[in-house]
Amino acid sequence: MTAKKWLVMFVAALAVTVAVWAGFNVATDPYGVFGDRLLDFYSYDMTRNPRVAKIAWLDEHHDAYDSYILGCSGSSSIPTEPLNEALDASFYNMIMYGADLLDLEQMADYLVENYEVKNLVVSLYVDNAVLYDVGEDSLDSRMHAKVSKKPLLPFYLDYLFLNPTYGIEKLKAYFTDTEMPQTFDVFDVETGAYDKRLRDVEPIGSLEEYVQREAYQVFTDYPEAQYGVYQTENCVKSLTAIRDLCEEHGINLIVVNNPCYVDYLRHFSSEGLAQFVHALSEVTPIWDFSYSSISYEPRYWYDATHFRNSVGEMMVDVITGGDSIYVPDGFGRYVTGDMPADSAYFEQDCSQPESAYTASVPVLMYHHLSDNGEDTSDIRTEVFRSHMEALKAAGYQTVSLEDLYNYVWYGTPLPEKPIAITFDDGYASNYELAYPILKELDMKAAIFVIGVSVGKDTYKDTDFAMTPHFSWEQANEMLASGLITVQTHTYDFHQWPPFEPEGSAVRENVLPLEGESEQSYIQAFSDDLSRARQELEQATGTRCYALAYPEGQSTLLSGAVAAQAGIQMTFGTVPQTSTLVKGLPQSLLNIPRYGIDDITAEELLQQLGG
Amino acid sequence: MSFTSFTYIAFLVLLTVVYYCIPKRMQWMILLAASYVFYCSSGVRTVVYLLFTTVTVYAAGLLLGRLNAQRKALSDADKAGLQQRIRHRKKAVVAAACVLNFGMLFLLKYWDYTAGLLDRALGTALPRLDLLMPLGVSFFVFQSVGYVIDVYRGKQEPQRNLAKLALFTSFFPQIIQGPISRYHQLAPQLFARRSVDYEQLRAGIQLILWGFFKKLLIAERVGVVADTVYTSPSSYPGSILALGTLAYCIQLYCDFSGGIDITRGTAQMLGIEMTENFRRPLFAHSLADFWRRWHITLGSWMRDYVFYPLSLSRPFGRLGRWSRKHIKGKAGKILATSLATFVVYLLIGIWHGSSLKYIFFGFYNGIIITTSLLLEATFVSWRARLRMEEHSRAWSLFRIARTCVIVFIGRYITRAPRLLTGLAMLWNTVTDFQPAALLSDTVLSLGIGWTDYLIVALASAVLVAVEYAQERGVHIRQWLAARPPAVQFAAVLLPLLLLLFGTGGDYVPAQFIYAQF
Amino acid sequence: MDKLIEILTECCPGIDFRNETALVDDGLIESLDIVTIVSELMEAFSVEITVDDLTPENFNSAQSMWDMIQRLQ
Repeated sequence: MTAKKWLVMFVAALAVTVAVWAGFNVATDPYGVFGDRLLDFYSYDMTRNPRVAKIAWLDEHHDAYDSYILGCSGSSSIPTEPLNEALDASFYNMIMYGADLLDLEQMADYLVENYEVKNLVVSLYVDNAVLYDVGEDSLDSRMHAKVSKKPLLPFYLDYLFLNPTYGIEKLKAYFTDTEMPQTFDVFDVETGAYDKRLRDVEPIGSLEEYVQREAYQVFTDYPEAQYGVYQTENCVKSLTAIRDLCEEHGINLIVVNNPCYVDYLRHFSSEGLAQFVHALSEVTPIWDFSYSSISYEPRYWYDATHFRNSVGEMMVDVITGGDSIYVPDGFGRYVTGDMPADSAYFEQDCSQPESAYTASVPVLMYHHLSDNGEDTSDIRTEVFRSHMEALKAAGYQTVSLEDLYNYVWYGTPLPEKPIAITFDDGYASNYELAYPILKELDMKAAIFVIGVSVGKDTYKDTDFAMTPHFSWEQANEMLASGLITVQTHTYDFHQWPPFEPEGSAVRENVLPLEGESEQSYIQAFSDDLSRARQELEQATGTRCYALAYPEGQSTLLSGAVAAQAGIQMTFGTVPQTSTLVKGLPQSLLNIPRYGIDDITAEELLQQLGG
Repeated sequence: MSFTSFTYIAFLVLLTVVYYCIPKRMQWMILLAASYVFYCSSGVRTVVYLLFTTVTVYAAGLLLGRLNAQRKALSDADKAGLQQRIRHRKKAVVAAACVLNFGMLFLLKYWDYTAGLLDRALGTALPRLDLLMPLGVSFFVFQSVGYVIDVYRGKQEPQRNLAKLALFTSFFPQIIQGPISRYHQLAPQLFARRSVDYEQLRAGIQLILWGFFKKLLIAERVGVVADTVYTSPSSYPGSILALGTLAYCIQLYCDFSGGIDITRGTAQMLGIEMTENFRRPLFAHSLADFWRRWHITLGSWMRDYVFYPLSLSRPFGRLGRWSRKHIKGKAGKILATSLATFVVYLLIGIWHGSSLKYIFFGFYNGIIITTSLLLEATFVSWRARLRMEEHSRAWSLFRIARTCVIVFIGRYITRAPRLLTGLAMLWNTVTDFQPAALLSDTVLSLGIGWTDYLIVALASAVLVAVEYAQERGVHIRQWLAARPPAVQFAAVLLPLLLLLFGTGGDYVPAQFIYAQF
Repeated sequence: MDKLIEILTECCPGIDFRNETALVDDGLIESLDIVTIVSELMEAFSVEITVDDLTPENFNSAQSMWDMIQRLQ
């Protein structure tokens, strides 16, 4: 081959390479710019760049929505469901991390121009006061050119000739993708919000323990900073544009100022903040949630700057006037333009004493009772009676699971010295021996039954004799007294290895089996829970919402599956007193319990701390 | 702009097109303009150092040229005194050029370190300069001083056109990392008038591709391993330290020689052939041989401008005569040369950087080479006792392996952040090897995944195979040119696709910023 | 000339100095050898060889070394 020919060939090879390059990027489409037709992995694309991927996705699916939430990452916690209900709409959460008001203005323009829009929730954060038109150099924070009205060709070229590593990374993620969110797919494509199925089942208890966790140590040593230059003027301009747009198109505009953690709020001057809120409220009224007792409590926060979904629920409750869940006093104020700028508002102390919104409740865990006490795990009837009498004498008042639930969800007060009594497994002795005592002393208790064992004295379908379990009739009799709650201990996830067929995998608790795929585990566990629920609800006519984990074992994944199956309270076996937090449903997860065996009443009281 | 950036490729394509399109008498001017564009793209301010060297060297060249002419005009018998005066003046000029340029190099590269040492030793508080290091300063200073000395020696007519000399000192392909060219070899090529030569273009492109192959596929990957290991050496067992050092050896060779390939390929596209800087050092059979194959132009510069003058200088001559008289055998004969050799390696060590470890590195090389000179006879007798033929495969394999080990050990010292760390790592490698760690997950925790190791292994195998063939005298590119077109096409397309998909290092996509939330 | 060959052979045994004509270019003798040879020559022939004379051309063969010595004497 002559050198000249070789050069022609080289150019041809270069052309092929370039074609392969572009083809690969279109096929893998790491940012979803080209419609992600091959992999349809939008949760990944949105994680890379929500601005671009969400537009690409909405272009296909906007028919399903008629309302939008616009804002930076914190806005993810504003829930679409209650908004849909209250406003008879279908919301899409158009959060874009690090969004400034220019982003929101451009996005609002694009949405209104191209899609049907009935409601627009514009959600602001204090950062907006100082960050405006931050720029979009990086591929990850770039606005879709269709939205920013920049030339399309260079925009598409950038993504066409992306470094192939992006595509390779996406392929890797595609093949390691699971049901649950991972670092590379944090979005729920359908709602547009962050997929918090795992984060929202993280159990939360006492504050001390909470801020010790690695993820939350930021609250003990909060970073310091001072932000100076305010962009109020630009923000007013953008908000005015959004308001005019909404007026012109008859769109219901709701503007909220998101909650802010107090130490972060202190990065700003109170004058600056007051001025910022006031100036914007002159454009349109603002629901200002930025500063309240929520700002002082780390447990309401995912991290240093992002409030939890449950706080978002409170916000929607305030905005829609629902009054259907707990909301702390002073959370949210409606600021209108005729109100003067009030810097004193941001200077007052909004903190509440912990006792105002948290409760410490010891929870006791019993199993089987017997009159003679031949088994070590048993407790003798007279000992149980002595326990109950001693508790009563010590001033403890038993509460039901419902009471605990109502405290957290609605702020319903608990009695002085509350205590909860629970029984695991659903033994007949609970009905025969414990129930009469409880009735006599007028004390409440909850029993967690193993669905498959209800009414049985032999193990499942075998002839192996086991401790007898009470029947649904007996359960109903107890329920009728109003003292006893019956909830689930799984349907059949508490198996007893010696009685199971040899060689089969035994589910002694809700943890995945060794080597079990995530997919099949989720299937098995949610099938089990739905069967447990079905039988319990059918037999008793009461709601199934609480689960005691067999052996007290659980993982975040099992928590997520349980939550999906409608379980709102779970119980573990860590011997300590539980801490419940109003407005924080996560404090109802993995509630710790003292396992009680044949100890004296004095020892019991001692264990409870006198 | 880095050799491996798209900017550089665009720059090169544009330059090549312009170079062959404009009138031929302007070609060298385009090269000069391109060189300064290239240099300034990495920082405009540091260009003053390059200009300083260019101007001082230019002036020294002119002065020496005039003195040379004056001397030639004198007749032999004529005024021995005058001759003497001219000789002194020439010495003064060359000394001034050296002092100015090496002084600048010293201030830039070594002053802060030296001041630190002095402060500690004497308790003084000498000022630190903290200067911005100009790109390739060691290279252009050495190359330019070489030119001055050549003129001094009368081997070279001085360049009277300042712009032309400026092109010689700043020629862009070589300014980052050499090779250190000689004026008589490079300059005529720079100023030549050329038409397109497809052979040269092809050869240049092929060389550049080969350089990319070494740099991007191999060096960037193993570099991650080396960096990880050397960032926290105390957390790894000996075997992993050895792995990290091996990775560094591979990185250094592939990065450096790959860069030189790109340099030479670039020049070749413009019709200019530059001297080789590497001749398959992996196959060196002794440390001295290694240094004749590794960074060849630095070695030959040292030979011509340090080693020869030093060995033939009066003090060394006296030392040689003395030692021949007083020390028996070979040792007496080569004592003076050994000492000069030693000095050269010490300088090579210091040339690499300002730190105790480089001085130690110089000593390490110097000691091994002079010792092996002195013990040469002993080795020969050992070989005889082991019944190994001089040209047998086993003997040559043994020598190659021995050289590799010596070089490998030296790398511990140069890569470690401090001399003591390097020595400690070496010690740990020997005393706490833990070979099992090489099969554990630790290997995959060093920053690259198993696919990367696979790519490195395959690419290195190709590299070694090619170099082995070259060592055996096969001309790879000629061999390739004789293959069927389909094979040749594959030989181009495959590397291009590999580069497209296999490029690691710098191009790892940004982390998911909100991953934690 | 014989004296020269004798010196050379003593410095670098095993090389055919009478017939080789590319001693430096072929890498048969290296810089170290050259310096050793030069110091021997300066002693034996009482000539002054300077750095300027250390070119490959002057050392590629015994003949060229001989010519150099003649020139310098």
